[in-house]
Amino acid sequence: MGLAKRKSAYVEYAQAVPLKYAIDPDSCIYLKKGKCGACKKFCEADAIDFDQKEEKHTLQVGSVILAPGFKPFDPSRFDNYQYANLPNVVTSMEFERILSASGPTMGHVSRRSKDKAEPKKIAWFQCVGSRDLNKCDNFYCSSVCCMYAIKEAVIAKEHIGEDLDCSVFYMDMRTHGKEFERFYENAKTKHGINFIRSRVHTVNPVPETDDLEIRYVTENGEIVSEIYNMIVLSVGLETSPEIVSLAQKLDVDLTEGNFCKTSSFDPVLTSKEGIYVCGAFQGPKDIPQAVVDASAAAAAAGEKLAAARNSLTKTPEKLVEKNIFGERPRIGVFVCKCGINIAGVVDVPGVAEYAASLPYVDFATDNLYSCSQDTQEVISQIIKEKNLNRVVVAACTPKTHEPLFQETLINAGLNKYLFEMCNIRNQNSWVHKNNPDLATEKAKDLVRMAVSKVALMEPLKEAELEVNQTALIVGGGVAGMAAAQSLSAQGYETHIVEQNSQLGGQALSLFKTAKGEDIQERLSTLNSEINSDDKITVHLNTKLTEVEGFVGNFKTKLSSNGDDQVLEHGVAILATGAAALEPKEYHYGKDSRIITSLELDKKLIEGDPTLKSLNSAVFIQCVGSREPDRQYCSRVCCTHSIDNALELKKRNPEMSVYILYRDIRTYGEREILYRKAREAGVIFIRYTLENKPEVLIDGNNITVKITDHVLGRPIEIGADLLSLASAVIPNKDEALAQFFKVPLNDDGFFVEKHAKLGPSEFATDGVFLCGLAHYPKPIDESIAQGKAAASRAITLLSRQIIFTSGTVAATTQADCSSCGVCISICPYNAPSFLEEGPFAGKAQINSVLCKGCGLCVASCRSGAIRLKGFDNDQIFSQIFSMNEAV
Amino acid sequence: MSEWEPKIVSFLCNWCSYGAADLAGVSRMEYPSNIRVIRIPCTGRMSPKFALAALREGADGVWVSG
Amino acid sequence: MNLMEHMGIESDRIHFSWISSAESTKFVKVVKEVTEKVKALGPQQHFKKNDAKVA
Repeated sequence: MGLAKRKSAYVEYAQAVPLKYAIDPDSCIYLKKGKCGACKKFCEADAIDFDQKEEKHTLQVGSVILAPGFKPFDPSRFDNYQYANLPNVVTSMEFERILSASGPTMGHVSRRSKDKAEPKKIAWFQCVGSRDLNKCDNFYCSSVCCMYAIKEAVIAKEHIGEDLDCSVFYMDMRTHGKEFERFYENAKTKHGINFIRSRVHTVNPVPETDDLEIRYVTENGEIVSEIYNMIVLSVGLETSPEIVSLAQKLDVDLTEGNFCKTSSFDPVLTSKEGIYVCGAFQGPKDIPQAVVDASAAAAAAGEKLAAARNSLTKTPEKLVEKNIFGERPRIGVFVCKCGINIAGVVDVPGVAEYAASLPYVDFATDNLYSCSQDTQEVISQIIKEKNLNRVVVAACTPKTHEPLFQETLINAGLNKYLFEMCNIRNQNSWVHKNNPDLATEKAKDLVRMAVSKVALMEPLKEAELEVNQTALIVGGGVAGMAAAQSLSAQGYETHIVEQNSQLGGQALSLFKTAKGEDIQERLSTLNSEINSDDKITVHLNTKLTEVEGFVGNFKTKLSSNGDDQVLEHGVAILATGAAALEPKEYHYGKDSRIITSLELDKKLIEGDPTLKSLNSAVFIQCVGSREPDRQYCSRVCCTHSIDNALELKKRNPEMSVYILYRDIRTYGEREILYRKAREAGVIFIRYTLENKPEVLIDGNNITVKITDHVLGRPIEIGADLLSLASAVIPNKDEALAQFFKVPLNDDGFFVEKHAKLGPSEFATDGVFLCGLAHYPKPIDESIAQGKAAASRAITLLSRQIIFTSGTVAATTQADCSSCGVCISICPYNAPSFLEEGPFAGKAQINSVLCKGCGLCVASCRSGAIRLKGFDNDQIFSQIFSMNEAV
Repeated sequence: MSEWEPKIVSFLCNWCSYGAADLAGVSRMEYPSNIRVIRIPCTGRMSPKFALAALREGADGVWVSG
Repeated sequence: MNLMEHMGIESDRIHFSWISSAESTKFVKVVKEVTEKVKALGPQQHFKKNDAKVA
C-alpha cells in the first residue's frame, strides 16, 4: 500500500502460500537497466530466471466462477478530507496495516507524519465512498465499514491503552451481522468509544502541528470544532474498472452499482449460464457471507459438472508397508542446509556428524535442499539401502513440510508416523543469525531431542471409514430446499424432514424479495421440482426422535404420527429455521389494525383491497430486536418494512407512510430501496431505545406518539395501519442440538464451526448448517447458504471413504475409572462409554471424531488415555534428552 | 561462552504459538536462543508432570504457550 | 502455580502465554521476557535430579 519500503525481491505477505519470493519488475535494477543480477549469483538453488515472461494458456472448463473481489474506494478526490495532502488522514485499509503485527510499524500505532507520534485522539469517518451521490456515484452501502471501524477502534485501544480517545462519525450504525450488535454495545459501554451521528464536512490542518481540526454539526444542530491527531476514512468497496471490462467481455450483466447481477433465487448465477459469482463482486459483503457464496458457487458449478466428477484424477500406486515390529530403532538423520538459509548460520556438517554419534542413529548426512525432488528420491533410496526404520529431518518447519517428508517415507515403504521433524530454520537459523555458535548448539539439542522421540515412535494406522452416500436435511424451508436440490443435482440421495404439513417454512408468508421477485410463485415451482425429483424424499409432519452414530454413519429415527422409521445417512444439514416474534408491546393483538410485518405480507399476497383505502400507515422497527435481552439485529426488517411501505405507496400514492426506526440498515444495494422510499415521500423518524414510540388506542383511533429527531418535539401520528417489524427468533431446538452434539449460542442460534471461515458447518464432523437457524437473513442469503451447506457436505460425501488421522487418543480400558471427565471435556464428542462387552461402562474414543488435541489425555485422572504420536513417553524422552546424557 | 545461558523448555501449541514462532522466523526477527521447543498438538495436552520433569532434568525455566 | 511455589520453584521460572499464529511480534516479545526473567533467577538447582541425590 506504499506505507513502507519493500525490496525488489519480496514475499507478498507473511502468510502467503506458497511462501516463495518474487521479483518486483517495477523496481528490479536488472529488469529495468540490465545491471545487478546479484540474486541470480547468490541463489544456490538456481531458481532465478530473468527471462520469464507472461504466458497465455488455454484451458477447457465446464464452469467458470468469478471471484475478483473489490477495490477499496480511493478518497483522494474528496478535497474536503484532504487525504492526498495530510499524512495523518489515512484510509481504513491503511489503518488496518498500521494495526497489524506484520505491518509497517510492527503493530505499533503511530502517525504517518514525520513525528511518528502515538495518537491520543483518533476519529473514523463512515460512508466515505458509500451512500453518497453528491461527491461520488456510489449510492450503495458497502455493508462492512461500520463493523470494521468499530473493530479498528477497539483494537487501537487495545494497542495504545484505554486513554486513547476514539470517535466514530456515522449516519446509521449498521451492525447487522451475527454477534455484531453485541460487539457494538460493548464498544460503547465497555471500551468507551464515542459514536457521533454526523457527517463531518471539513478537515483542516492545525498550523505548526500535524494535528487535524474537524467541523461538524451535532444532532442538536450545534456546530462543533474539534482537534484530532489522526483521521481514518472508512472507505467503501467498489468494483474496479478492469473487472467491469472483464464482465463486458464475458457478457455478464451488472447492477446499477457495478456489481454482478444475480436473482434472489439463484444468488450465485450470473446472467450467463455456466458462469457463477461469489464474494464482493456479487455485492459488497463481509467475510462470512463471501465464504458462504464461495461454497455456494462451488456447488452450483459442481451441479453442472457432476457427471464429469473424478474423470481426470489419477491415483498413485501404493507401496506395501514394511513391518518393523520388534526391530531395534535404526534411525536416519538428514540435516538440511536449505542453501545458505540454515548453513549460513548453523554448522550443518557439524550437526550431522554429531547426529551420527547419537544412540540408534545408523546414518546421518546433510543435504543442500532436502525438499527438492531429487533429494527426496535419494532419501527414499537411503532408507531402503540402509534398512532404516525411523527418520529425522532437521530442516524448516513441520507445519509446511511434514506431509512432504512423510510421503518420502511412504515411498520407501515405511509407515509415515515413524518420522520426526526438527525445526532448525524458522525457529533457529533465521532468528539467531548473529549467534552462530549458540544456534549450532541449539540445533544439536533439537536434533538430539527429535532422535530420542523418534526412537519411540510406532507405526500408526489410519482407520478407514465408508461414508454413507445419503444426506438428511432437517427443515424444509427455502434453505433446506436449496440444499436438497443441490445435493440431488450432484447425484446424492437426499431426505428432507419437515415438521409441518408443507414445505416452504417462513417463505410461505413472504410477499416479494428486495429485488421485487414474487416469492409464492417461485415457491410453488420449487415445490413441484422437489416433488418430481426422484432423488429427494420428503417426510412431512415428521420429527427426529433419536440420532446415533457419527460422521459417515448416522442412524436417525424419524417419527410421523406414531409411525417410526430409521434412516441411515452419512451427513446431516440442520436447516431448522426461525420464527417471527409475537410482539408484547405497542398493543399488539388488541386491534386488528396493529399487525406484524408478516401479517402485512399476507394481506399483500391476498391482494387485500382495504390497503388501497388507508390514509396513513406507520411502521415501527426493531420490535424485540436490539433490546437488552435480545442483543442482535434481525437483519431483514429494515429492508422488509421499506419494501412494504413502497408497496403501500404504489397502491395509494396519497397515503401518509411513516417508518419509525433506530438505524436504517438497508445494507448493500438494498440502499436503493431506502432512497426510493424517501423519493416516494415515506417519512422516516428516528427514535432511541430510551425514548420508544407510544401507541394509544382511543375508541376508533390509533395514535402513535414519538419525538421527532429533526424538530426535537413530540408529535402524534394517526395510524390506520400499524406494522410492527417483529424480531426473528430462533427455534432454540435443544433436543436437536443434543442429537447431533452441536452448540447453541445465548440467543438460541446454532454456533457454526468458525464465525468467518466455517459459517455453513459445525465443528462436529458431518453436520452442516444453513438458513435462519444460523442467523436471520433474507431469502437470497438463505438459498446461498443452503447451497453452501450442500457444497460442504459433498466435500465429505464425494470422498466415499475417509481416513482418520493416526495421531489420535485411545483408552486403555482396564485403567479407566469411568469418571466421564473425558466425555464432558472433549470439544468433538469423541469419547463415550462402552455399552457392552467386558469393559462396559469404560470410556472408548472414536478415532474418526478425535482431532488429537490431547485434552482428554491431560484430564484423565487414571492415566488411561494415550495420545498416539504425542505419547507421554515420547514427550518425556524429549525432555530427558534436553541436556546431553552424562 | 562468557555468560551463563539458561535453558528453557518451551511447550508450544502446534496451531498457535508454534505458528507464531515459524512466522517470527519468516519475518527474520531475532530473539534469544535459550528456548528448546517441544511441539504439542494443543496446550490441552500439557501436563504438570512435563513441567516438573523438565525442571528435574535441569531446565532453568518452563514456558507453555497456546 | 501456588503449588509450584510451595515446592520451592520460583514463580518466574514457569510462564504461560497465549499467542495466535499471526502474532510473531508478540512471540518474540514473550521469548525475550521469559528469557530475561529466568536468567535473572540464575541456574535452577532446587529441583534438579543430581542435587536431589546429594540432599
